[in-house]
Amino acid sequence: MRISAFSLLQRLFLAAIIGLMAAAAAHAKPDAHGAPDKFVLDAANEALDVLKADSKLKSGDLAHINQVVDTYILPYVNFRKTTQLAAGRYWRQATPEQQTALANAFRGTLVRTYSGALTNVSQNTSIKLLPFRDDPNADDVVVRSLITQSNGQPVGVDYRLEKDSQQGWRIYDMNVEGIWLIQNYRNQFAQQIEQSGIDGLIKALNQRNQ
Amino acid sequence: MTMPTYTRLASILAVCALTAGCAAPSNPDPRDPWEGFNRGVYKFNDTVDRALFKPVAQAYTYVTPEPVRSCVHNMFSNVRDLWSATNSFLQGRGHDFVNTLGRFLFNTTMGVGGCFDVASANGARKIPNDFGTTLGVWGIGQGPYLVLPFWGASTVRDGVGLIGDLQGGSYIYSNPSAIDNVPIRNSLWGLDVVDARASLLDTTDMVDRVALDPYSFIRDAYLQRRAAMVRGNAGGEGSLPDYSIDDEDDAESPAQPAAAPAATPAQ
Repeated sequence: MRISAFSLLQRLFLAAIIGLMAAAAAHAKPDAHGAPDKFVLDAANEALDVLKADSKLKSGDLAHINQVVDTYILPYVNFRKTTQLAAGRYWRQATPEQQTALANAFRGTLVRTYSGALTNVSQNTSIKLLPFRDDPNADDVVVRSLITQSNGQPVGVDYRLEKDSQQGWRIYDMNVEGIWLIQNYRNQFAQQIEQSGIDGLIKALNQRNQ
Repeated sequence: MTMPTYTRLASILAVCALTAGCAAPSNPDPRDPWEGFNRGVYKFNDTVDRALFKPVAQAYTYVTPEPVRSCVHNMFSNVRDLWSATNSFLQGRGHDFVNTLGRFLFNTTMGVGGCFDVASANGARKIPNDFGTTLGVWGIGQGPYLVLPFWGASTVRDGVGLIGDLQGGSYIYSNPSAIDNVPIRNSLWGLDVVDARASLLDTTDMVDRVALDPYSFIRDAYLQRRAAMVRGNAGGEGSLPDYSIDDEDDAESPAQPAAAPAATPAQ
């Protein structure tokens, strides 16, 4: 009897350990060469886990937010493509230096845009994928998701990804409640470039990032 | 709105039409042929907002506890669901109609008259809808973009839709105009406006921070959002922006070997 009680305890302990490991493995490392929807879900969950555990983010410390974005969001995003498409036909008029400066300036603006949203992340924030409707073999797809907050309506967020053979899937555009990011900046970029050139646009973006 | 307000507004718009306030746009958008006029109204709205609506909404947010605010917001949103459901029905979107009607019934009963949005808490997503969208689903084009005084972004079609919203919403008791008692009706309209503005405080702050030109930022967001609402959740044709239109020979250039510099932090 004593032996079986001991083995029961042992088994319980073992089950608990396995449970813990499974919980840790549930949020797998995002695999850019796997399925696009799973890639987005893993990347988002990884970022959410970090945001939930990090109390410094709540205070809105921009330098710290930048650091988290660099580590957990940037590797999965193709900011250069985002900027290129937002600049449209003006992109080809820019020198490589201007292109890089523009991409960095735009990135700063976007981090500022979303830093407010990042501070709203709470323990109850979660992301759920909606059914994938694209051809899984395509190299330009849309992954649709629903982000749920503890207070307020769930928000529909779609991600547009492109696959390249080296880096795998990377996000380059996103849609919040029907509004695509790049689409919403195209006119503003064109307007600013018409007025003051590409350098003027870089300057205007950087001014906002101060 | 009283007559003098109309007159004052008309004179402001007239002045704007005659002066540099309505200068020709530098990057004209075919969807916005009246940009000069619209920018004038936008400026007027922005001034009124900063002087009146925004401070009132901020004060309301400051003095009212969060549970009370969310109750007020949910109750207005709940009665409005009835009008949204009607429009889903008119658009032949049976699934949305049943869902929104279910939301309304659930929130009205279990949510104590709509005070608690229990339907959203249980995963039933709100499906906003209005008569402008219905007109769009029926095949009526949006017409030129139009900034309405006090109201803000709209189009010719959605402006007509607003009249439908007011009339229809009052007919099915979905907005305060259905109430006969004038003081109560006006107070409710006032509260409705304050609540609507307060729930937009975060959004307008964001636009102030990130938009290069708030006017075209709001215009482009509005037109995109309305197009998405008319399309519904069917997706399909036109749901994905085609960025290659004025950039087509870009495909010839190799797939950006210089992608690496983008990974260097900006700051």
